[in-house]
Amino acid sequence: MEDLWGSVLWGLKIWLFLIISLIMIPAMFGFSLGVSETYMTVLIKTLEWATLKIQRAKADEQTLKKSASSGLIQREAGSMEKEFEELRRSRPKPPVGGDFTLSDCFYFSRQGIESIVEDEVTQRFSSEELVSWNLLTRTNDFQYISLKLTLVYGLGIFVRYCILAPLRITLACIGLTWLVLGTSAVGFLPNGWIKFWLSEWVHVMCYRICARGLSAAIRYHNRENLPKKGGICVANHTSPIDIVILCNDGCYAMVGQVHGGLMGIVQRAMVRSCPHVWFERAEMKDRHLVTKRLKDHVSDKTKLPILIFPEGTCVNNTSVMMFKKGSFEIGATIYPVAIKYDPKFGDAFWNSSKYSMVSYLLRMMTSWALVCNVWYLPAMHQQEDEDAVQFANRVKSAIAHQGGLVDLQWDGGLKRAKVKDTFKEQQQKKYSNMVVGDDSSSSD
Amino acid sequence: MGASQTRSEHPSYRDLSDKTGFSLEQITNLHKRFKQLSGDSETISRENLNSIPALTDNPIKKQIIDAFFDKRNQHKGEVGTYGEIGFEEFLMVMSHFRPPSLKTSEEEKKAMRKEKLRFLFNMHDSDSDGMINLEEYRKVVEELLSKSGNIDLEAAKAIADAAMLEVASTSMPDMAPDYFYEGITFEHFEQILSGLEMESRMHIRFLDVDTVTMRCDKKQ
Repeated sequence: MEDLWGSVLWGLKIWLFLIISLIMIPAMFGFSLGVSETYMTVLIKTLEWATLKIQRAKADEQTLKKSASSGLIQREAGSMEKEFEELRRSRPKPPVGGDFTLSDCFYFSRQGIESIVEDEVTQRFSSEELVSWNLLTRTNDFQYISLKLTLVYGLGIFVRYCILAPLRITLACIGLTWLVLGTSAVGFLPNGWIKFWLSEWVHVMCYRICARGLSAAIRYHNRENLPKKGGICVANHTSPIDIVILCNDGCYAMVGQVHGGLMGIVQRAMVRSCPHVWFERAEMKDRHLVTKRLKDHVSDKTKLPILIFPEGTCVNNTSVMMFKKGSFEIGATIYPVAIKYDPKFGDAFWNSSKYSMVSYLLRMMTSWALVCNVWYLPAMHQQEDEDAVQFANRVKSAIAHQGGLVDLQWDGGLKRAKVKDTFKEQQQKKYSNMVVGDDSSSSD
Repeated sequence: MGASQTRSEHPSYRDLSDKTGFSLEQITNLHKRFKQLSGDSETISRENLNSIPALTDNPIKKQIIDAFFDKRNQHKGEVGTYGEIGFEEFLMVMSHFRPPSLKTSEEEKKAMRKEKLRFLFNMHDSDSDGMINLEEYRKVVEELLSKSGNIDLEAAKAIADAAMLEVASTSMPDMAPDYFYEGITFEHFEQILSGLEMESRMHIRFLDVDTVTMRCDKKQ
């Protein structure tokens, strides 16, 4: 019995020692031993081999038809005006009264059915579909193709659940604990440049450990555009891990609600070492208060740039949804950042209605890896003649363009809420203009 | 969504394909969409269709949704409405919008055109009495126009009346001056729209694409 305990303890000590020396210390000091690079190369080779196998097997069954649009239906490209012109061409104009016919309904009924078959919004809130299976059951259900593939798949499960997952969980715990302890310790120092430098170092170190805890391979582009103090950094939102990804490369001030429990402890500790902006739940409703506090933070040039996700909700990383205008009204310099995950290695999208935070993190930790690209875009300012909404749309287009995402006008809040009636009225206005407008042109 | 890739055919898909004319692949894709709309249940209710954001733009949204639950569109000879519909009913309504393929004969094309006109007629004729009377017609005009604030209720009524009068005079040219025109029957409806080239107006090109193997994003 005692031998068993002894050997278990001994095993644990070795395990911890390996972790600390091989992963934590390089993470703390920002250099790499090349372990993760080798892992990624092996992983990519395996997935490519698997893809080829599957494609060869499927090629006998059917030929993949290439198509320009990735959808169920092919939409007509004409505008409302053009369509109505064609509809009315075949009948003579009436002598009096607006030009309204029974056949006008054709256009609207077809539009309606098209929307029922396929709409742009609902498909943004489910995980992206992959070209081929990446050996994770959660992406596509298991299909039996060949013995070799099944063996690799089984090996993959073993590696992911029994080796990688405990490793990552340990790292994450260490990272969080260190964050709390480190920031609290730094909080005791008097304000000065030492405190500032130490707090930055502690923050970045802990986020690096957390990033290793997710096997994140991040590539940063255009680092000369890194957000500076006194500005606001905006990015597209896919999951809470975005914060870890961005903070790996720089220090930001966070904005958010005060939580209780574990999150609350972390928040309070972080605020001791450098100022973040945490709101009470009641304060969040008051827009003026929120704007004022953000303005105060931004105008103090010694404080870190604020990190905001203007979409307001997690989107599945194929598109960028409407940016809420609140952060663009403050009048500070905006530093846009585009984040794009590579879905081959693991799906980073957090579907908050389907998974809780804990089960989401566990899924993250049992994926192959997290690969993503981060592009820093040049700073943008609000121009003289544009209002906050136009400015927000301009920033959104820049981010969508850089990240290769679809730029949508729809509000991410539609995940849970209904569309406002104003949209319907807009269409009605357009149509009635046509009917009445024809009246003025045909009655003389 | 990561749905499973079932290469094996659903046995009932074949029946549906024969009945509605969709290909097996199109039926699989539409079934996925059905599941998405219904929240993975077997039937769709009006609420499910009501919550599609892109549909809210449409002025005749209510009529379109009603068309799905209208028994007349199922071609079984029944009248009335359903509370909820299953996948077969969903497909039947969709099949009204299928374009004719190269193989359809003239006879079949005529039949398809009649079906499409019938679908539109049913959409206007909300009390299922086989005629579109003035009240029903006015209602459609109102839905399309008046809520925008550009045209008020009186003007909308006037437009509906004028259009109705025109229909009456074209379909019954020898009408006595005090004859009470009850409503537009289906034959009149067909006659009015006989000149209209509607085959291309009222169809949706359903693609034969296997969506499981396509990426959602634009750039590669």
